[in-house]
Amino acid sequence: MPKRQQRIIMAKMGLDSHDNGLRIVSKWLADSGYEVIYAGVYNSAERILQMTIEEGADAIGLSFLGGEHLHYTGKLLEMLRTHDLGHVKFFAGGIIPPADVVALKDMGVDAVFTPGAQRREILSVIGKCLGVSEDSVHEK
Amino acid sequence: MAEIPKIEFNHSEGEQLPHFHSISGIEYKRIYSREDWDKQLPDAGEYPFTRGIHKDMYRGRLWTRRQQSGFGSPEESNELLKFLLKVGQTGINIDSDIAGKLGLDPDYPLAQADVGLQGTSMCTNEDMAVLFRDIPLDRISSTLIFPPPSSVVMMGQYFLTAKAQGIPLEDLIGTMMNCPFTQLVGPTFQANTAFFPIDLALKIGLDLIEYLIPVTPKWNVLNVNSRNIRESGVDAIQEAAFSLALGADYVDRLCKRGLPVDSFARRIGFFSAVHLDLFEEVAKFRAMRRIWARLLKERFGAQDDKSMWFRCAVQTSSLTLTAQEPMNNIVRAAIQTLTAILSGVQSVHTTSYDEAYCLPTEATQKLAIRTQQIIAYETGVTKIADPLGGAYLVETMTDELEERIWEMMKDIEKRGGFIECFKAGWVENELNKARYKLAEQMESAELPIVGMNFFKDDGAAAEIDIFKQAPDMQARRIEYTINYKKNRDQKPVSRALKNLCDRVKNHADKDLVAPMLEAVEARATLQEVCDAMREATDFSIPR
Repeated sequence: MPKRQQRIIMAKMGLDSHDNGLRIVSKWLADSGYEVIYAGVYNSAERILQMTIEEGADAIGLSFLGGEHLHYTGKLLEMLRTHDLGHVKFFAGGIIPPADVVALKDMGVDAVFTPGAQRREILSVIGKCLGVSEDSVHEK
Repeated sequence: MAEIPKIEFNHSEGEQLPHFHSISGIEYKRIYSREDWDKQLPDAGEYPFTRGIHKDMYRGRLWTRRQQSGFGSPEESNELLKFLLKVGQTGINIDSDIAGKLGLDPDYPLAQADVGLQGTSMCTNEDMAVLFRDIPLDRISSTLIFPPPSSVVMMGQYFLTAKAQGIPLEDLIGTMMNCPFTQLVGPTFQANTAFFPIDLALKIGLDLIEYLIPVTPKWNVLNVNSRNIRESGVDAIQEAAFSLALGADYVDRLCKRGLPVDSFARRIGFFSAVHLDLFEEVAKFRAMRRIWARLLKERFGAQDDKSMWFRCAVQTSSLTLTAQEPMNNIVRAAIQTLTAILSGVQSVHTTSYDEAYCLPTEATQKLAIRTQQIIAYETGVTKIADPLGGAYLVETMTDELEERIWEMMKDIEKRGGFIECFKAGWVENELNKARYKLAEQMESAELPIVGMNFFKDDGAAAEIDIFKQAPDMQARRIEYTINYKKNRDQKPVSRALKNLCDRVKNHADKDLVAPMLEAVEARATLQEVCDAMREATDFSIPR
């Protein structure tokens, strides 16, 4: 039986609405066969949690620019754990200083992508995390 | 790893570029000559101002060094402003945090984690007074980056600060940007419509312009931020066409209100991006000056030269900055700053090299100002008005860009104008197409970026000082706002807010600025004023 299509929520949190990266990576994921649930900008942690439950998402991808990454990542990861959703994979990307990349990974973020990350790298890391080989994703 | 086409060193053939077209896709010829361009040019300061809006350009007066700045609390930002003025900044450009632009107070739950991060946290009359402490509002011009309805609240607070400094309103110098489409990002649709009804925001912006024209004769009432348009990934032609079409929409609406075009047009400005394709950018600014002048004169019947001036502030592009080898960004910003000066712009923000990581530090902001000072005082390019004028390439490119921009503007016009295009989702579509295309060009290295997709140095980690906010800044701002609301006389606040709410409910067609200013004077906060109008229109916002 083929595995169900992997579902990934893509969002920005809080008030920052610089969504170039969010739009581009969402398209890359959709083009390579993921089911992207595009949550857009201005999300709260509560909203993304609810969406994760309702949509049965396999992963969450958050894009940051303004320095709010530690706050929202910490909050959402904690909420996921209290709702027994610790298995949901968690990716972050955007303008994130080097020290905070380490901090995010220590919190439990599966991968962090910073400016200049290339499509193949992003797709391959996410594919590995979700247990899909890149080829099977490309085949849809 | 990705397959990146690297420049192959072939010593028999030499190092070669991947292609010869501009960022906007215009093919550069091998050489330009009289066969390409053989016309006469008007003097600088003469219609249609191809060569600059002033006869003497920088010989008469240098451009304003105006770095967008602000972070954390008004106290901290006031210190930063004074530092920047001390090292040679000559104008102020206040960027509030996002809550301030969206009409939210620091204590609003969805705003709390963003307080003070991307600009100054501002919501009360006191905040404005503190931000401009020791800064005379009649001697230093300030640009305030707020869309309506925040623009009205902030203007009211600025008036109160002027009053406290003993400065009459007619002496205020500066700009309220006041555009509801371009002050955040894009104009992407969701970002600009989620926190306030867009039609009402536009209406309030126009009300403010009408209000300000007689009371603040030296103040600029509108600025179209074409930089935000460009930074979403569109090319120079789209940037120019979108922003000029939007500018035309505003002029049209103000004329339809019965305002004589010469009463307000001179007080509209633009804020553009400067990218790295040097000659295309120079041509873009020259073409924009020409188009704006012709629009104002031929379509709107302006008589006064000043109404036809395309006055332009710029900020060097952030999109071209790389996180890899961040020091390379110093070179990019310097070239872009030079490009801006060769284009004859009126004020410049040189983007700091650390902005691919964080807000700029004091040291990198100082370097940005020094970059401008070196160009101003050491290179000699400022000693001639329009130094590139008459060059076959520059004039050919100017003509070519002008033609393409007009063509796109006509298309936008056919679709009902830029504002209609925004509301109908056409702009959103264009922006997304442009972003995907740009991402492709970066992936394929069709757009070479040194250190990123060309000459990438995988081993080198960036060494860079990271700007840090005070750890308790957000908590302090939230607490301050709560206490401010608790400790004031509530009666006049409630009365003014109710009055405003009623006005929007029952007479939204009438001026809304006066009742908003009354609420500000009664010490209502930014969000309280905006909420009164949201309530009146049953508009709910993200939580």
